[in-house]
Amino acid sequence: MRSIVKKLGIGFIFYLLLVIIFPFLLSNEYYLSVGIVIGLHAIVTVGLCLLMGLAGQISIGQAAFWGIGAYTSAVLSTKYGLPPAIGLLASAIIPGIFAFLLARAIAGLQGYYLAMATLAFGYIVQIGLTEWESVTGGANGMISIPKLQYFGDSELSMYYLIWAVVTCVLIFSLNILKSRVGRAFRAIHKSEIAATTMGIDVRQAKLGAFVLSGMFAGISGGLYAHYMGILDPQPFGLHESIKFITMVVVGGMTSIWGALVGTVLIDSINEMLILLSEYIPGLQGDVDTIVFGAILVFIIMFMPEGLVPRCRAFYEKVKAKKRKAAGSQQAERKTVA
Amino acid sequence: MDKTILRVQNLTAHYGPVQVLHDINLNIAEGEIVSLLGANGAGKTTLLNCICGLHTATTGRVEWNDQDITLLPAERVVRLGMAHVPERRQIFSTLSVEDNLWLGASYRLSKVSRKEILREMDEIYQRFPILAQRKWQLGGTLSGGQQQMLAIGRALLSRPKLLLLDEPSLGLAPLIAKEILQIVQQIRSEWKTTILLVEQNARAALAISDRAYVLSTGTVMLEGTAAEIARDSRVQSAYLGEAHTKL
Repeated sequence: MRSIVKKLGIGFIFYLLLVIIFPFLLSNEYYLSVGIVIGLHAIVTVGLCLLMGLAGQISIGQAAFWGIGAYTSAVLSTKYGLPPAIGLLASAIIPGIFAFLLARAIAGLQGYYLAMATLAFGYIVQIGLTEWESVTGGANGMISIPKLQYFGDSELSMYYLIWAVVTCVLIFSLNILKSRVGRAFRAIHKSEIAATTMGIDVRQAKLGAFVLSGMFAGISGGLYAHYMGILDPQPFGLHESIKFITMVVVGGMTSIWGALVGTVLIDSINEMLILLSEYIPGLQGDVDTIVFGAILVFIIMFMPEGLVPRCRAFYEKVKAKKRKAAGSQQAERKTVA
Repeated sequence: MDKTILRVQNLTAHYGPVQVLHDINLNIAEGEIVSLLGANGAGKTTLLNCICGLHTATTGRVEWNDQDITLLPAERVVRLGMAHVPERRQIFSTLSVEDNLWLGASYRLSKVSRKEILREMDEIYQRFPILAQRKWQLGGTLSGGQQQMLAIGRALLSRPKLLLLDEPSLGLAPLIAKEILQIVQQIRSEWKTTILLVEQNARAALAISDRAYVLSTGTVMLEGTAAEIARDSRVQSAYLGEAHTKL
């Protein structure tokens, strides 16, 4: 037991406990669905964190992969009657293929140009989903997508299923961080030339990062489709992509945990805004966009490294101070003696 | 005569319409230290980049052990056993010293066991004790000289047969620069690594080299043994200064 704790770290055990007991702390069934949505978003943001924070490749079109994943599974299971498990598998593979093709086309771009290209990709996908009516149902969307019933039909079972996936994605990503691939990602982030002279195939590393994050987003999209039961193209646009980026930046781009914390934070604020809008009549429409924009500006101005790395640095500082204080006390005691 | 491991033949290179290298010929035999001298803008770094695949030559050939590598991309050239320590060191400043070293071994991880690489890393730490002390520090927090040692150590972890060093003494205090060049010499004797050294500091470079090439505006102006080059009057006036002639 002790070795497991040591291997995963105390933070991970704490995370697991929190995920497991969360449903029992709730007074309202509604918040369970919030928990599910947070989990779905977290799968996307952890992938985006690998792409942006680790490999340094910006993507303003992440919601497009999410949408492709959602529609892939929805179409396969609704129109062709395939079991959802196959739909979910395809919802990881098809966005992965799209990510691969996109990355192949734009791997030579850096910085702003890459951002613009992914932005365009996001728009194209959303327009495609809207206009390809024979398959996607167009703006009206799709209905009666089968639910996932691996652990029964309840909301609670869906919650545990989604968070099991989140946990797998987390463990996978935390492991990548320390592996050869993770080091290659961080190396191309810092300097592509230096990475090349280390024998790293920069192009391949970029493709890998894009495909990985696209697949994560796709898996989340597939789960989203089966959870919601209905789909329309509206949530898969720029607005959602920016929200994903905000989550990653707020939590701290360089930290996988940061992506998770940022997701929880932003989604919670979103819920609070909805709650407040019941009491304040003026608080309707796209208020959330303004609030998230303000948060993003605030974070970039005052803690560009993000919440989790900042808290970690603060914790290290306090620990160092304590150690120093203890050291000087000991020294005092010695001189007294 | 030792075996030639690198041969550059009639190489020309351009940046856009501007021709930077004119008809360069260069040979390096196994076990040599060869230095490449020349003023700013003579084309030293470009030639190095053409050799290691970072820049594509317009015409001409680069041969590695009689195999044509002119068009081979840089990340593949490393696998053949040619390590490049680029100008300004290019340390990964946000990664720890240890992670920087692991990156040096990246392409070998699929072939060699981690244990073996850890053992080689210990060798590097013994060679550069300061790096062992700073293992977990971020690369960017090291001093210039330490960063250069890290860059060289990192390159050595790819087990190169030929090490390309681009101005290792750039921006270093004279004493540290001297230490770095001594290290270069030791690397050759301990690891049997062949070295191509690009240097501004001609005198220091010639002191540790077997042979040298002098580049001037993209052409090889002079080549010969280090002693011959050091005696050449043109080199003396252009790079070594009056003081040397009086000595």
